Amino acid sequence: MAKILLVEDNEMNRDMLSRRLQRKGYEVAMAVDGRQGVEMARGGGYDLILMDMSLPEIDGWEATRQLRAAPETVAVPIIGLTAHAMAGDREKALEAGCNDYDTKPVELPRLLSKIEALLGGGA
Amino acid sequence: MSQTLSGNSLSPEALAELRHDLRTPLNHVIGYAEMLLEDATGADAAADRTQLEVTLAAAREALELINATLGTTKAAGRDDVDRLYEALRRPRGRIVDAASALLGRPAATRDGSFTADVRKILSAAERLVPTQTPTPSPEPAPSASDRRAEPAAAPAGELQARILVVDDGAENREVLRRRLERSGHAVQTAEHGRQALELLGARPFDLVLLDVLMPELDGFAVLEAIKGNPALRDIPVIMISALDEMPSIVRCIEHGAEDFLHKPFDPVLLRARINASLEKKRLRDQEKEYLLQVNLVIDAATAVETGRYRQGELREVAGRDDELGRLARVFDGMVSQVKAREDRLRERVRDLREEIEQARRDSKEFGIPVDGGNLKAGDRFAQRYEIVAVLGRGGMGTVYRARDLELEEEVAIKTLRPEFLSDATLLLRFKDEIKLARRLSDPNIVRTHDFGEWSGVCFLTMEYVEGMTVRELLDTRSRLSMSSTLAIATQLAHSLAVAHEHGVIHRDIKPQNLLLDPDGVLKVMDFGISRLAERASTITEAGLVIGTPAYMPPEQLMAEQVDARSDLYAAGVVLYECLTGQPPFQGSTAISLIAKLLSEEPRPVVERNPEVSPALSALVMQLLAKKPEARVQTASELAERLRELA
Repeated sequence: MAKILLVEDNEMNRDMLSRRLQRKGYEVAMAVDGRQGVEMARGGGYDLILMDMSLPEIDGWEATRQLRAAPETVAVPIIGLTAHAMAGDREKALEAGCNDYDTKPVELPRLLSKIEALLGGGA
Repeated sequence: MSQTLSGNSLSPEALAELRHDLRTPLNHVIGYAEMLLEDATGADAAADRTQLEVTLAAAREALELINATLGTTKAAGRDDVDRLYEALRRPRGRIVDAASALLGRPAATRDGSFTADVRKILSAAERLVPTQTPTPSPEPAPSASDRRAEPAAAPAGELQARILVVDDGAENREVLRRRLERSGHAVQTAEHGRQALELLGARPFDLVLLDVLMPELDGFAVLEAIKGNPALRDIPVIMISALDEMPSIVRCIEHGAEDFLHKPFDPVLLRARINASLEKKRLRDQEKEYLLQVNLVIDAATAVETGRYRQGELREVAGRDDELGRLARVFDGMVSQVKAREDRLRERVRDLREEIEQARRDSKEFGIPVDGGNLKAGDRFAQRYEIVAVLGRGGMGTVYRARDLELEEEVAIKTLRPEFLSDATLLLRFKDEIKLARRLSDPNIVRTHDFGEWSGVCFLTMEYVEGMTVRELLDTRSRLSMSSTLAIATQLAHSLAVAHEHGVIHRDIKPQNLLLDPDGVLKVMDFGISRLAERASTITEAGLVIGTPAYMPPEQLMAEQVDARSDLYAAGVVLYECLTGQPPFQGSTAISLIAKLLSEEPRPVVERNPEVSPALSALVMQLLAKKPEARVQTASELAERLRELA
């Protein structure tokens, strides 16, 4: 099954989302800030990255830009997660290099359909 | 920071932030509840399922309420937000009730993470609505990139705590709540003192922020109530007030406040002071925890004394990385060594029981049938006892098994030949010894009940032990295994130690006086009547009693000073015989035996039985030293030496 890297600093979000994705059959690795997220992603082996955009150290926007600039991660689909469904966030996320984006709190069925769409199309 | 709202409507950023703040905990509630529901299969979990479904329904209802008021396209004002808070209270209450019910049920059918996840639901629900209906802070909501500076999760090293904010001003309450929640704390608010005390009584808090000036019950009164209540006393209280006068501060400190903050607060100072207070509380809690664990160790020591200590009981304390942890580890180690020894002893007793069993099977005729004598089965004796059987006849008299008709229990009755008691001085001394012996109460000692005289017959009543003597065991088994011998030795050493501590010397330890019950428990009998035995051995010369001095130490044979070490010599002879099948010296007549006993050195046990370990052989030989001072000196030392062999 596909391997997802979840970059999320909030412990409860991380715990819940990772467990729910695992229950759906995904293998989930976790990073707690942007720096760790970039390092892990560059190590390779992930089919998709779920990136919280408001992170300590390096935020999700910057982390996404770095991943898009690196040849080994340029093609890995990234779904950006933002806290606010503000107009313009979507464009901003796509501009930073996200393939898709969703708002937090995450609604699982909606997120799953986005994950499946990206994995199905990209594989 | 006393800001006021400039208008009724809230900025889109503020609304987005509020929406996020409210939806995140709800999403946690839903997520965990759904996962738990997926796991709650089977008939056992039906009640859990019901509560989880209630939780989910309530959370979804709350989510709809939020979307209805704060949907992306909606414009909302503070009145709307107030109404929303009010409306959310009901579903939130249902979530809390359902989660509490789940926690209250026995967790037999659930896995380990169940409780943890339900607690997460509870904590998320607590973050959903402040206890009161505050107005959201008019502070400008930070933009997404600003949030980096103040992430939702507390930065590493900062303590997360349950904080109660007590302030009659709704805005102050809300400002504090939001600031503290950003730092990762769980916050409850109260708008007056009475409510604060109610909340404090209902749930645990780590810190209270208490406004001084409040109507009705003011901050001082609340502070006094907290510090006067043993259950709440240890919660640190930081007073907050716009008053900046020395007497007010002094009064707070005198009443036990941890710190004092002026309004309006500087956020950095607020955070620093809260962290300092929490750190102090953490240290105090640690100290309390330490003392608690010290008590655990003390309790464990008491439990060991009463035999109720369970190994591993101190695991938590033993995990400590300090002196106390080391003490607990050493303690547990010692106890487990002792336990291992006990287990080995139990094994030996089992071996001994097997030997007893075997002896029973081998012995065609066990026990002496009633064959006349003064009394026979069915006879009444001393108006209180009914004779059941004759157990044995010896130099001093006859031993009967009898029934005590008054107490409805079996006893052994030993009648004493009148010639032993004709001397009034001897009789008095004998009675004194019986009094001493009656004080001995130990599983390895046959209890002496009473001394009496009836129709000119003096008699003793004792505990009746069903079993056989070591004599009988040796007669049928010739010699015993090392393991069985050690089982006998350990128990014999113990009974002698107990008797000697009470000032009672047996003087006539021999296989005939050592009873073994069917469980392998050794019981030494005839404590206190050995003076008569000495008398008996004198009488031997007159030919009245045929006894053997084989178990007597030289000093006793020579009528010199007899003490506790004389019993140890006799014990040595018994053990020698157990291990080799023969006493160290044998003679065809009493005189030749005594001569050997006084002049010859016995052959080492190990020479006669190579299966015996050299250490045990040496210990037995040391007991047989002719000079008392060369022997093992006390019965407890013997017990200790036997333990070392284990």
